[in-house]
Amino acid sequence: MKVVVVAFATASDVLGQDGVEVNLPEGSRVRDLGRALVERHPKLQPMWGRLAVAVDGELVGGGHPLEDGVEVALLPPVSGGSGA
Amino acid sequence: LSAGLVDEPIDVAAVERRVAAWRCGAVLLFLGTVRDRHQGRPVRLLTYTAYRPMALKTLKRITDELEAATQSLRVEIVHRLGDVPVGEASVLIAVASPHRQAAYEASREALERLKREVPIWKREHYDDGEVAWREEEPLGFVSRPF
Repeated sequence: MKVVVVAFATASDVLGQDGVEVNLPEGSRVRDLGRALVERHPKLQPMWGRLAVAVDGELVGGGHPLEDGVEVALLPPVSGGSGA
Repeated sequence: LSAGLVDEPIDVAAVERRVAAWRCGAVLLFLGTVRDRHQGRPVRLLTYTAYRPMALKTLKRITDELEAATQSLRVEIVHRLGDVPVGEASVLIAVASPHRQAAYEASREALERLKREVPIWKREHYDDGEVAWREEEPLGFVSRPF
């Protein structure tokens, strides 16, 4: 199956700002995608533990099963709003 | 009411007109603006980026839940994206309510939730030319797959 990975903030510095397609074996879960991405981008390793992961816009855990065509977002700690 | 992401200066007057209602005796506008320094270091600009579809959905969830929790409350949140110069607003939270107390509470809660739940990030551009992401609040569910 094929998933699209989009990344933001420091994660986008590693993966680039446009989505990347990743091929995975059927039955893969979010944690399997994590391993595949870290293999390809070792700089992700130290930041992975701080990332939240969303599948099609909903936060999920490492055991979440992936399906063909989903969008997986890597979301570092956020900083919206202002300094107020 | 609604929530929005805009790429230009926030139209405060338009939002104020939308939240106001005859039954509401309080309209509270909170503007979060870009400060000229971070921990003492001069800043000239912030660049905001969002995971847009999820940010919109989450902002909408926050306004819906605040309105559902308090009768007659009207809430709108607008966040600006892209480059925001010092002194300009990056976020507007507008709340209308029959009485002021509920408006103050909802306004505060909207901003606290925004900072924790909405996938928006800022990048600071310092006066000396350096640039850095600010990453502050882990989103609710951290994956930790290893």
